[in-house]
Formats: sequence, structure tokens, C-alpha cells
Amino acid sequence: MKTSLKPSDIANASDRLCHIEPGELTPLPPPYEDFNQTVLLPLKPEKIKNVESSLDDTVAIGIPRPASTEEEEALVRQFLSGLKKLFEKENNWTFLQPLLLSMEHCTRCQTCSDACPVYEMSGRKEIYRPIFRSEVLRRIYRKYLKPGGKITAKLTGDIDLNWATVARLAELSYRCTLCRRCAMVCPIGVDNGLINHEIRKLFSQEMGIAPKEIHDKGSVQQLRVGSTTGMPPPAAKDSVEFIQEEMEEITGYKIEIPWDVEGADILLLHNAGEMLAWPENVGAFAIIFQAAGISWTMSSEAAGYDAVNYGLWYDDVQFSRVAVRHADIARQLKVKKIVIGECGHAHKALSVIADRLLTGDLNIPRESAMVTLEDIVMSGKLKFDPGKNNFPVTLHDPCNMVRLMGIVEPQRRILRKIAPQFREMTPHGVENYCCGGGSGFAIMSGYNFAEWRNLVSSRKKFLQILEAFHDEPREAPKYVCAPCSNCKGAVRDILNYYHAEERSNLFYGGLVELIVNALDGMKKPIVHFGDKPSWE
Amino acid sequence: MPQIELAGKTYEVDEDGFLQELDKWNEEFAQAYAHTEDIDGTLTEEHWKIINYLRNYFQQFGIAPMVRKVCKDNGIDMKKLYELFPTGPAKGACKLAGLSKPTGCV
Repeated sequence: MKTSLKPSDIANASDRLCHIEPGELTPLPPPYEDFNQTVLLPLKPEKIKNVESSLDDTVAIGIPRPASTEEEEALVRQFLSGLKKLFEKENNWTFLQPLLLSMEHCTRCQTCSDACPVYEMSGRKEIYRPIFRSEVLRRIYRKYLKPGGKITAKLTGDIDLNWATVARLAELSYRCTLCRRCAMVCPIGVDNGLINHEIRKLFSQEMGIAPKEIHDKGSVQQLRVGSTTGMPPPAAKDSVEFIQEEMEEITGYKIEIPWDVEGADILLLHNAGEMLAWPENVGAFAIIFQAAGISWTMSSEAAGYDAVNYGLWYDDVQFSRVAVRHADIARQLKVKKIVIGECGHAHKALSVIADRLLTGDLNIPRESAMVTLEDIVMSGKLKFDPGKNNFPVTLHDPCNMVRLMGIVEPQRRILRKIAPQFREMTPHGVENYCCGGGSGFAIMSGYNFAEWRNLVSSRKKFLQILEAFHDEPREAPKYVCAPCSNCKGAVRDILNYYHAEERSNLFYGGLVELIVNALDGMKKPIVHFGDKPSWE
Repeated sequence: MPQIELAGKTYEVDEDGFLQELDKWNEEFAQAYAHTEDIDGTLTEEHWKIINYLRNYFQQFGIAPMVRKVCKDNGIDMKKLYELFPTGPAKGACKLAGLSKPTGCV
């Protein structure tokens, strides 16, 4: 296998363009060295016999293999038609300008490569370089869409557009978590993350190609049933009722979660995954809001109890449908503002990106829970005993919320007040690394994709977490605070995968749990380390 | 769509082995599938209690309940649940009960 792959190689016939050998991944420190030779096991041939799998060691989408050359050619034509639309104002008014700037101005200085955790951790595999897929797209665009492109391609960089190119590019757009660390470091503002987003969009909107977890079971299911979890409204209510009972048992504090209160100050939007996987997060929000005397409500309208908007990652149409739905629910409830719970992508979706969609009375004020919580914690209304959180805590910065929105300090001011052993990761804030689960990766698990995530895209985060606690004794329980459902899922998976609970006593959770854990009036702790309560 | 053959019948499953045709579920399916989820021998009354509970909840609400609710409503702890279904409640128990794989950020 060639070591220095070129963008034009993406068109070459081969079973696999890139493969990671044992020992190529960035080494892990003790006591995790036994994982240093671990790589992905080859996918069983019978599992992938009908899907495109010629990019690397994993499969994210599982695009069905075309049955004939004619079918392949038709798909390539469809790709070109979609590509054309990406560069037309009437078809891509939202993203055309930044796309054009990024397509025209990259100088290939490679500053972005050093910033990319997937590229770095993979042992610097060419295909994971942020500019690799951008360069593939750029060459296709220049050669096939620009006048005279086929002649100038010999000078500006040639590429063959065939089905292998198209199928691999689709898969490759799901090897980047859209963390946009590359865009942050680019000296001239080129955004390779945005280019990747546009590639995904082309595939979804023009060709119906997207991972089923984020499309069929994601945004489609959310619009049909009410939630990406598959929860219709009665299931959400049943879950929340159970959470209320649980919270009283766990903390001794009785809560009443309000539903559909017209005219409430706040409509709280949780990622519905919290209700199923991290019920204490939903409960902790309710405790804080109730204790602080906040006027708030949840909505039992379909999609009104699920902040998720996966369209952000791959499809503007799906994105718009969900964003408008969220805003309309808030409008009908006549709430003063929407507060977005601990869900990073929902933050960016509804606050920033939807800002270009929501006009008139749909333009309801939207606020990050980090800000709402800071106001409450700093207001003096509630009393805290930080001594109850006397264990090492570090903070993960969800990319969407922090690097991409600039919400950096509120969560830190809270932690400094309630967690005496809070320490930062290196680097942190806007420079923080992705959890590895960004842009849908945390929920994509078909084939062996979850293992690829644990080994490659989450590896940098795991190293950062270990580094943050390196001076702590093994037996001390440690808390990774990740105020985002998707990030929590990714962190949970890396801790499991590397047996980090047994080996380093590492645990994880959200921010509101830590707030409630230190809140006066709780009879029992909400934070547990395995079976052990965090305080007696 | 991948298929599996269990006790002489063919079922459509997803790539992780979750049954796709929910109405085709039957008790033989659960029993024949048990060994792939690290359960040895015949399913016990305790297994069936959980499987039936999951199916009933699913019929009522369209999803599997949260794990903590499974434990509480059946009077068992998490440890016991993992003893019964070593591959876990979502992967093991839901799979045998013929429920879809959990979706969303869970």
C-alpha cells in the first residue's frame, strides 16, 4: 500500500484506499499500553458484500453497491448535478459564499492538518487530512463544472470522476466530526469543515445518501414520531414521570416537572436522549429550576421535547423543518424564551444557524442553558456546599457550544464556584478537542464504526482526559464533566472501551448533576461513582 | 438487508442483528437467538419476565423503557439484569424481545 496517497488516487480501483496497521495509532500511556497494537479487525466479507467499503477499515453509511455500470454512471451524473447546485445561489443561498471562499483560497499550507485530531491520531493517514477531501471536491469542481476545466485540470490537479470516487467521497465525509478546529487555525479563514458539511449535504439532498442513524432513525423519525429516540409524546411523559419519582428517591427532593404551561418564561428543550440514557440530567435541571423559583415548562408536542436537530450535520432541508418546528412550538406556547439544555449541536442549530430562518414571530429569543444556569448559580438565590464536590473534575468543551459559538466562561464560572478540584484540560476552551463523537459519530454504530470512533476519532479526547488527571492517584474517583448528550455518549464509550473505570476510576456526567450535588437541601448525593455515593 | 436463520425460519435483521420485522417475533426466535447473546441453555422464567415486560412497554409506548425503569418495575438491580443478559439490556434483552435498536443520542 502506498504511503503518500494523492487526491487523484481516490478514483483508483482497489479494495481499500487506507488501512491502519498495528502500532500506527498514537500510543496511549500506562496503564493502557496493551491497547497500542489494537487496530480494527477486518469487516467480515459477508457483512459488506453488498455495500461500498473500499475507503478504509470501516463503513459509516453502507451505500448499496450499484448493480451495473449503467447504474454507476447514473449515480455519477446525479452527483455532478448535486455539485452544480452547491454552487448556485438559488439552491444554496445559505452557504454559497463561505463555500466559494473556502474552495478558492486554500494555499495548502497544512496548518489545518496539525490541528485535526483524526489525522493526528490515525498516524497521519493522508485520507484523513482536512484538505484531502476538500481537494478531491475542488478538483472535481474545477474539472467538470468550470469552463475549459478538462484542459486546465492537467495543470491545476487532475482527478477522474467515477463511481469509486463518488462512493469513497461519501464515506470520507463521515470521517470528519465537523469540529472545525481546522477552520479555527487556518491563517486565511478557509473552512474545510464547511466543505465537508457541503459534501454531506450534496449526498443527502441530491442522492438520498446519509447514515441511517442520523437520517431515517434520526431527523425523519423525529418529524414523524416526535423524537429521534422513537419516543412519541406519551412515552416522553411516562419517562419524565418516572424521572420525578427517581429524583425524589435519589436526592430526597420532590420535583414537579411542568408540561405545556402557556406563557412560561422558559421553554426548556432537552435532547430527548437524556430522558432515556441520563435521566438524572433531566431531573437535575428540574431541581435547579424549581429551587430557584424559575417559571418554566417542557412541551409535549411532537419534537417539542427533543432539542435534537441532526439536519445541522448533513441536510439543510431536514434542518429547516425541525428548526421551524421548535420555534413554532415555542411561539404557540407563548414562552418568553427557549433555553437549550446540555446538547451541543442543538445549541448551534437553534441559536446560530436557524437565525437565518426564523423571522417575525418565529424569532423567539434562544438562550444556552450554560448562561441560564450561571445566572441562577451566581444570583445568590441558592446555597451551595462545594465541599460535597470534593473530587477531581475536568471539563469537556462541546465544539458546537464552545469553539463554534463562543460560550466559554459561564460553565467555568459555575465549576469554579461549586467544584473545588476543577482543573482544565490542555488545550481547552475554543481550542479544545472534539470528543470524537461529533456530527453524529457518537450514535453511529453499524458495522464497526463505533470501534473506529473509539480507536481513532475519540483517541485524542481520551489522551486529554488522562492528562488532566495524571497527577491523581488511580483510586481517586474522577469526574469528566461533558455538558452535551452526544459528547457524553462518546465519553461513556471511550471509558468503557479502554476499561477506564476499572483502571483509572474515571466517571463522567453533565454539569447540572454537579450543581445539584453541591446544592444545599439535598438529603443524598445525585453523583455516584459506581455504587459509591459521592458524599455521605 | 441481512438475514438470519433461526429454528428453521428466516428473519430480516439489521447489521447488528436486531429484528426488522417486529411482527414476526415469537418465543422460538428469542430462545434460538439467546446463545448469540451469551445466554447458555434454556431461557428461564426470569428472562421471560423481562422480555415480556419490554414487549408490553414497547406495544404501549413505541420504545423500550429506560434501563432504570426496567430494573425498578421488575424488582431487580442492574447487576442482576446483566447476569440475565450478559451483553446488556439494550443489546441483549431488547434484541431477544424483538425490539429495534435504540436510536437518538442515547
